[in-house]
Formats: sequence, C-alpha cells, structure tokens
Amino acid sequence: MEETFGNFAIIGKPMPRVEARAKVTGQAKYAADIEVADMLWGFVKRSPYAHARILNIDASKAEKLPGVKAVTTGKDFGGFKWGWSGPTRDEEPLAVEKVRYQYEGVAAVAAISEDIAEEACDLIEIDYEPLPGVFDPFEAMKEGAPLVHDDRPGNITVEYHWSFGEVDKLLAESYLVQEDTFQTPRMAKGYLETPSAIAYWPDDDHVVYIGAKGSPYFPYRILSRCFNLPLSNVRIIQPTIGSDFGGTKNDMTPADFSVVMLAKKTGRPVKITTTQFDTLTTDLRRHPMWITMKTGVTKDGILTAIHTKIVSDGGAYTRMSPLTHYLTGICMGLPYHLPAFKHDVVCYFTNNPSSAAMRGHGIYHTAFARECQMDMIAEKLGMDRVEIRLKNLIKNPKPGEIYETVNKLHVATAGTEECLEKVRDAVNWKKRQDGYKAYGTGYASGTYLSGTNLSAHNACAAIIRVCEDGSVNYLTGATDVGQGSDTVMCAFVAEVLGITMKDIDIKRVDSAFTPVDPGSYGSRVTVLAGHAAINAAQDAKDQLLEVAAQQFGVKQAEVDIKDRLAFVKTEPSRNMPWERLVRIACYEAPGKVIIGRGYSTKGGVGHTLADFSRGVGDIGTNYSFTAQASEVEVDTETGVVKCTDNSVIAHDCGFPLNPPAVETQVQGGAYHQGVSAALYEEFKMDQGQTLNPNLVDYMRPRANEAPMSQVLHVVTNDPYGPFGAKEASEGSCCSAPPAVISAIYDATGVWIKDLPAQPEKVFRALKAKKEKKQKK
Amino acid sequence: MIVDFEYFAPKTVAEALSLLAQHKGEAKIIAGGQSMLVVMKRGLLTTENLVDIKGIDALDYIKYDEGKGLRIGPLTIHRAIEKSPIIQKHYRVLSEMEHNLATVQTRNWGTIGGNLCHGDPAGDPAPVLIALNAKLKIASSKGERIIETEDFSQDYLEVALEPDEMLIEIQVPTPPPHTGTASEKLMVMKGDMGIVGAAVSITLNPKDGVCKDARIALSNCGSTPLRAKKAEKKLIGKVLNDSLLIEAGEVASEETAPPADVHGSSEYRKEMVGVFVRRAAIKALEKAKAA
Amino acid sequence: MKGELKELKLTVNGKSYEFKVKPKTLLVELLRNELKLTGAKIGCLDSACGACTVNVDGKAVRSCSVLALQANGRKVTTIEGVADGDKLHPIQEAMVEYGAIECGFCTPGMVMSARALLGENPAPSREEIREAIQGNLCADEGYVKYIEAIEIAAKKMRGGN
Repeated sequence: MEETFGNFAIIGKPMPRVEARAKVTGQAKYAADIEVADMLWGFVKRSPYAHARILNIDASKAEKLPGVKAVTTGKDFGGFKWGWSGPTRDEEPLAVEKVRYQYEGVAAVAAISEDIAEEACDLIEIDYEPLPGVFDPFEAMKEGAPLVHDDRPGNITVEYHWSFGEVDKLLAESYLVQEDTFQTPRMAKGYLETPSAIAYWPDDDHVVYIGAKGSPYFPYRILSRCFNLPLSNVRIIQPTIGSDFGGTKNDMTPADFSVVMLAKKTGRPVKITTTQFDTLTTDLRRHPMWITMKTGVTKDGILTAIHTKIVSDGGAYTRMSPLTHYLTGICMGLPYHLPAFKHDVVCYFTNNPSSAAMRGHGIYHTAFARECQMDMIAEKLGMDRVEIRLKNLIKNPKPGEIYETVNKLHVATAGTEECLEKVRDAVNWKKRQDGYKAYGTGYASGTYLSGTNLSAHNACAAIIRVCEDGSVNYLTGATDVGQGSDTVMCAFVAEVLGITMKDIDIKRVDSAFTPVDPGSYGSRVTVLAGHAAINAAQDAKDQLLEVAAQQFGVKQAEVDIKDRLAFVKTEPSRNMPWERLVRIACYEAPGKVIIGRGYSTKGGVGHTLADFSRGVGDIGTNYSFTAQASEVEVDTETGVVKCTDNSVIAHDCGFPLNPPAVETQVQGGAYHQGVSAALYEEFKMDQGQTLNPNLVDYMRPRANEAPMSQVLHVVTNDPYGPFGAKEASEGSCCSAPPAVISAIYDATGVWIKDLPAQPEKVFRALKAKKEKKQKK
Repeated sequence: MIVDFEYFAPKTVAEALSLLAQHKGEAKIIAGGQSMLVVMKRGLLTTENLVDIKGIDALDYIKYDEGKGLRIGPLTIHRAIEKSPIIQKHYRVLSEMEHNLATVQTRNWGTIGGNLCHGDPAGDPAPVLIALNAKLKIASSKGERIIETEDFSQDYLEVALEPDEMLIEIQVPTPPPHTGTASEKLMVMKGDMGIVGAAVSITLNPKDGVCKDARIALSNCGSTPLRAKKAEKKLIGKVLNDSLLIEAGEVASEETAPPADVHGSSEYRKEMVGVFVRRAAIKALEKAKAA
Repeated sequence: MKGELKELKLTVNGKSYEFKVKPKTLLVELLRNELKLTGAKIGCLDSACGACTVNVDGKAVRSCSVLALQANGRKVTTIEGVADGDKLHPIQEAMVEYGAIECGFCTPGMVMSARALLGENPAPSREEIREAIQGNLCADEGYVKYIEAIEIAAKKMRGGN
C-alpha cells in the first residue's frame, strides 16, 4: 500500500479519490437519489413473451386511472430506430411491430406516484400473437429457423472471417495440435446500482436528461436524433455512477426513451428507477460464446498458428456485437509471438436479452481458451507451464522500437516477461491434498487493449478554466464509473500546472458545458481523456507562463511553475506564488481569461484505424499485460471450488499513476468479472425466460470467498500513454478465469471447459474421471 | 410492489391471539419479516391484515434448566441464539447452525420462530430441532398444544398452524448423556441456503460404544424437512465406524427424491445427501464420544 | 382499514421524528423518501445485496427488509450519522485513505456493517470481518481493500497505529 513510483509531485503516489469523501459519507448523489421539483414517476410495461407480434395496445383504462398523467407507446417515436452505430440501427425505443426478448419494453406511464404508475401499466391491455422463437445460436442457425429480424436472413448479427498466414499448412506441419471447445457463460454485468433516469423539457426545444450513463455522449447523440433536436439543445447531466462494466449504462434502455417522451407529453419532469429484477432480466449481458480453438506448436512448444471458430449468442438486437466479436480476435497473439492465425466468428440473433460489452470485452473469451490450451500443451510436451509462456512471449520492445503483430497491431511496451517472472517467484505454495480437499495452482498471462481507438466518435477533449483566485476548473466529457479516472485526471492537471490536487475542481459531464468524450469503455479514459487533460493543462500553463515571463522580464522557456510557485529556472529565488501569478494574469490585462483547451492526439500518430472486416488496425493506443497465479481449494466430494488467499497478479499498466487504485482495480476485475465467470455466475434460461433473475439464485461473489490477491506492479513507461500509463485491470478480468480453471485441473486432473465450474459440473467431471480410471 | 394491509402491533400474546381469532383467516403474522417481505415484494403474498408480533418482548427469551432443557421464545433473533453462552455450552449445534444461516444482517432481525413458520424446506433450524427431538408449543385463544417439530412442516411454505394459531415456544429437551448433534449443509458461499443439508444426532452407550439412538433430518430434499428413518436404523444398535456412516449416508440418499432447481439436479442432490449425512454423522459421533 | 396511516416515533441519527406512514412502507423508503437520507441504497429486491444496511439499536440490519413501523421506538443510524460533523469516523477515513472505495454504491452499507461489527467486537479477526460484510455485495473492488481498511480502522480505534 505504501509503494510509490517515479519522481513526480503527485503522479505515481497513492492519492485518495477526489469523490471518496462524498461517497463514504453518503452525500454522493446517484441517479435514483435525485429529485426534481414537480416530478412525476414513470414505469415501463414489458412484454411477457420472448417473441411475439404486437397486435393491439389499448391504454384507455390506464389513462383514466386517477393520478396518471401520460402514457407512451412505441408508435409515439415515429419509426425511429437506434443502435450502436449507423449500420446497426435495429432497435426501437419501445417495441412497435413485435417484441424480440422477454420483458422488452412496450409502453410506459407517468403518474404522481410510482405505485400508481405501476398499477396503470397493469391496466394497459395488449394483444400479442406469440411467435416461435430461437433461444440459442444453434437453433438460430438452422435452416428455416424463425427469424428474429425479418430482414436478417440466417439470424446472423455479425460475422468475421480473418486469415493471417497459411494457417492450415502450419497446423498440418505442427508437432502437436491441441483442439478443444470451450464455453463462456451468459453473465450479468453485475453492477448494484440499477439504471435510473430523470428527464425534463425546460421548453419545447430543449431537453435535460440526468441518468446513470458511463458514456453520456451516447444518449446525447441518440436523443438528438430521436427527438429532432440539435445537439446543442440536448443536455445530458452525469450524476455519481455506480459502475457500469461496459453496457446498458452506456447504451440506451426503454426507460431512457420513456422518461424523455413522457416528460415531453406531460410538460413535467419524469423519473424512472428500474429494479434489480429489470436488470437481471433485460439489461445487457456478456455474450455466451462457444469457442473451438486449434493451437499448433513445434516440438519445443513454440506457437505455430491458431485457428479459432466462435459461435456466439448476441441476443435480440445488434447493439455492440460488431465490436465485441472484433475484439475476440484482434489481440489473438498477444502476449505471445504468433506467426499466423485464422479467426472465424459468427454471432447470431436469438430471442434472448441482448448481449454486449463487459469488462474484459471480447478478449476474455479467447484468452480463456488459449490460456487453458497453453497448459494442456505444456503438459503433453512435459514442459513447465511458466516456461512455455516465457518461451513464447514477445519481449518488451526497446525504447523507440515497436513490435508489430501479424495483424498489424503496434505494441511499444510489453512487460509480460517481468510479470510472469514476478508471479513465478511469488508462488510459494504447493499442490497438496487434505482429506477430501484438493489444492492446485493455475497460471495465465494475457493482454488488454488500452485507449480504444475507434473511428467516428473517438473525439475527446478537455477544458481548463483558471479562476481569478487560483482555483482551477477541469471540464471533461470523461466519465468515472468508479474506476478512479476523475482522480487521475485531476492529478494530471495538477502535475502539469505545478499545483496541488486541492486546487482542482472537476466539473463532470454536463453536455451543455463540457466537451465531448465517448466515455467509459474500452479502457480509454485514463489514456485518451488523460492526454486531453494534459494538453489542456499545458495550454493554460503556457498562457500563464507568458505572463510570468513578462513579469520576470525573461523568455517564456525560462520560467516554470512547481509546488505552487512560478519561478525563473536559472534563478529560483526570483519567484511568485501561484495565486499572485493568476491574479496578475486575470486582472492586469483587461479581457484576459485563462482558458486552456486540449484534445487527445496520441491515438492518431503511427496508428491505423480498426478495420473490423479484415481484423487489422490499432484498436488500442497501447496494451497492458498481466500474469496471474491462483490457487483453488476443491472439495472433491461435492465439487465446490473456492479460491484461497494464495493469489498473485502482476500487472504491467505502463506506469501506476495511483498505485492503490491500480491494485483495487486489478483485484476487483480478477474477482468480480474473472473468478466469478470461472466459478459462480450464469443465467439459466428456458425458452427465453431467465430462471434465476435475483441475486440469491444468480450468484454474485462475496467477501468470504474473496482471495486477498497480491498485486505486483510492473513498470514499462509506454510512450503512448500519459506519463507512460496504460489500462489497469481489464487484463486481470481475462487472466483470472483460465488461472482458476487451470488450478482446478492441477488439483484434480479435470478440465472444466464450459464455464462456470459450478459444483455439480465439477462433481460430475470428477465422477466421470474416477469411473474411467476404474474401468482401466 | 407490496400491496398494503391493515396493520396491528400487539404487545402481548393474548392480544395477538385475539386479533388472529377476530380476523379469521384474513390475517398473517410478521415477525422479523426476513423471508416474508421478500415474497411480499415479489407480489407472491398479500394479506388484508398484518399482525406484527415483533414487539412482543415476552416471546424473546432463551431459558435453560438442566432438567427441563432449553426453552426458546420464537421471537429470539438468530444472532442471539448464535451468540448465547448457554446455547454454545449446552446445545452448540444450534449456535453452529445459526452461524451459517444467511448473513449477519438477516440474523440481527430475523427470528427462529419466523423461520420455522415460513416453512421453507431449505430452512436451517428445522432439521436441527428435529435431530434434537424438539417440540413446538402452539397457542390460540382457545388453548395450547404441543407437537413434534417434524410434524410442523406440512408442505412447501405451509405449516401446521390454524389461522387463529401462533407458535409461542420451542422446547428442546436435555439430550441424553453421550449424545452429540451436528449439522452440515452444501453451500457454495457461506450463508447460502443449503443445496441440501443434514442434521444428525447420535447417542452412544458409553460402556460398549454401541449407538443407542440416531436421528437424521434433511433439509431441501423435498417439500418439508425429512427424517431419514431407514438410515437411522442402519446405525442404531451398532458400533459405528467409517463404513457404517458411509452406508447410512447412502441409505438416507435412497430415501429422498429431491426436486431439481437452478442450483442442482435431483441426482446430484441425492448424492450430496449421502455426503452430508456422513459428514454430519462423523461430527456428531465425535461430539458424542466427547460428551 | 387497509393502508390506514399509522403513527411512528423513532430516532434517526440522534434526532427524534414522528411520522404517519402507510403500513407497507419499508424503513429504507422512509429514510430515503421522507427524510431524504439517500445514503442507504436500494440495490435489489431480495434481501441479498446489503446496500440498504443501516444500524438499528447498534445492529446491522437491511432497511429494505424492515417495515418502518417495526423501527418504532428504536434508534436508527444511517451513513449520514456516522461522521462526527466534519470529522470522519476511523472506518470512513481508512476506506478513503487506502483506496477501498470505487463506484461507492455499496460503501454506505459496508461502513454500517463494519461500524456495527466494531461496536460489538473491537478486535475482530479477518474471518469475522469477512463474515460481517458477507451480506454486502460489491461489484467492483474485490473486497480486499475493504477488509484491509476495516482492520486498520479497528486497530486505530483500539489505540494502535
């Protein structure tokens, strides 16, 4: 906890989060905590069917219920469709012709209380014609299967077929080819704060939306198009957000559109707070994927080629699936040197709730498969599991050098070797048995892209306003959903300006005033918004240095600001306090206002844009690297698996800007999105119905079972990251599942390839192994 | 959304019983509400009248007398049972069971009586009380009656209480000498409802080590807690060893037909019955030998 | 009569209040909607997440699973009543200083569970700390730094360093 890095004034040292105090005292306001004068309550009516045509909606009884102020249905939106990008606009705010997943929104009511709104929804009479549906990709792909979207033959959401190198030939010539099919589960994002939103129209041409959105600029653009308003008139205000993990809170929900439409109809603010039941039945999920991987190696265990085939369940709408599936393959080789690979991925529409991004997006699926296979291969070749990885890793490029993958990703720093060595050295526990409890260890190494570079909406800017008294406003479009980015951004600004964190006040997203930024996803905030913040701070600083230079009678290059003091570099005794410099700058020259602006530029230099259809392009500005070792305890009589405290994760995040924040992120990502996928979480479905839509039957990981993971920092100082930084923690979301599954194998000799390794599954695998042994 | 009700907060048992008699079948009792409020929120339970007995202090007690045994008021919170020095000394299995019942927050407000009356076959207290040969005292404004714990649960979420009746005491007899009782349940995470659970009580004859009596009760294997009587017979009259305990587990397993749910199939649960009966029996035997 | 308002007298964060509430009102609804104490959060419908945890007569309790009327005559403390004016409670301080807080949604509940624990057990073992927060779901942080922060706070409160 006490580690510090680098020689900076603020960066590289533990820094309490700027909003921690508000959170720990209960003062922080999340969307559901906000009340607006004259507010009405809304409630969404949802379809009981997973696939049905809507024949008729009769809201007359609902409208007559005392206390009801307005009702809205899909027709009110005039045929508007939206999606994650232009070509994928296939979803309506509220279903019009048909519903495609159970509990899809079909109408909404605004009333003077939540109870009345809910009662009114029960009074809306809807005639449905149930339709046959498809509930997994294997049904969806069959010839003659019912179509989820009439204009999408074959129920294909998206597919990619990439090829780099002569994969078939290389596999045929390999000493050993390991082929397995793995399955990743249908998972909830896991946030506790359920989506909530308030909307109101100050006048007919302006709308205000306050909601829990990790990417506020998505609703900004979508609502502008939906309600035919110029962007300037769409005001999105960000409250404190209770995490997101990739989707729903950066995308739109029926409730979001409903509050805006109901507010328009009633002329009053409308608030909708959804419940955990809504979240666990309709919010976006992690795709379940079936991954068949063929990995070839030489006799010495060197990778020759990988061929991956993936079948994926995208759910009812396209959403972000194009990006998800691109991500499954784009970093295929990393952290290893992979000379060739083929990637065939097909995602299908089904009548299940939509799948979308989730922490560890895309890469987690194939990393799981590949890392398990590395262990299987190591065992067959009689090699140590760490050794085989070390043999295949790309070395950390020397300063100035770039490693280019076979599909043209450019990597400037890769600290995997150091990560893996640190992990290996930290493992001081052994495989053992204690009665019916078996203990084993698994290893994994991986990568995650950082500073996601996508075309179109990757613009990202910051504004620094230096107030006359020396306090500084940092205006940003970036969103902290809990990862600590607000703190790090303020630290950048303070570091660059030469002042302290206390001087900085962050002005969070209010699209009327803050510059645009795509928000929290793709591990982009620290890297890209960070650059914008640094550039804006530098711009403001330059304006102040100009004034300082004048005051001291020297050239601008001869002055600097540090520790709240402006000084002449060669004669530090000639100095003046920060406040005095600012005052002079603001008051002496009439009309001068110190405003710095900056936008992110790093992603553009030397990087090519992502090309989804070919599988090339610098999806990341840079890449983090992780290595992990985890021990599990397997109750061999029941199949219950638990992580022990023997868990170590080494993470190369380039430079740990706020070391405790990196640690928490890595520990959390590994447990909540990683271990949980390996051991605990899965939605059980039956014909489109979620059978376990509550936090008792859908098991979220808890404190008693949490491994006290030790986090080791590896520093590589990436040239493309602010102060050398790269992402922290999506990497551990990807390294944890294979480490745990591999540990189960180490302890018991069974490979659980379809996650999660819930007790009955492990029990049956152990039983089958025992019976097989007895037959011999 | 919870549907509203008329609300009463009696301060005495007599008041409560009078209310139940008055509202004949249109009234429900709430104690800690830790199970009840969940089903009410899901819209699965509504009532015209709610009789809130949490304020009846007279029903919150733990009394012990070497002759009579243990008397627990139904409004005793789980946490009090868990932490009670008397119970830890004389009926340790109850404290151990409470320690794994849900989480601290639930145990701080939920009551043992409320848990029993909710009638969930996955409930932790019932099998332990059955193994301990406990009885339940039930009262109405017409009088009182005593029944065996194992006769209390009738069906899934249904117990043997007439609309005008209330549970007013749990009576646990002094165990015979050289008796040990233990309970174990299959949890993925600490505090989970057991996927299956077993409570076993073993009484030994100290002279020859023969098992004089055995009581085995199972949770979450059917619509009510179950007594595994055939398994008990395997143990009674014999000197217990590992293979006998395994056998008892297998017999108990054969006696059950647990329904499947998202947490496990019937076959898996059956197998686990065998495991947990054995594990609980081993602990019970250790305790009996030390008693 | 169904839904007839009933009287309720209770103390919240040291102040006495009198209300007339619909019987079905949950304690968390009373706190959030009537008293505007939004620190206790609603994260689920199943008594499973603990984000609504408050202290009733010093004990950690889920305010979503208690009828407001059952708090009659009792002392309720919410997260807003934990700090001493501007001075944070050692538990709060430790969580802030050691980076335990991420999105913060589970934080009030965690603080209340920890406060109740240290109120009755000033020197808890690590296992006892895990037990105390087993009913508090977090989705972010991995529980590690929460556990460490509570250990540090406990030590400080006992006069250690």
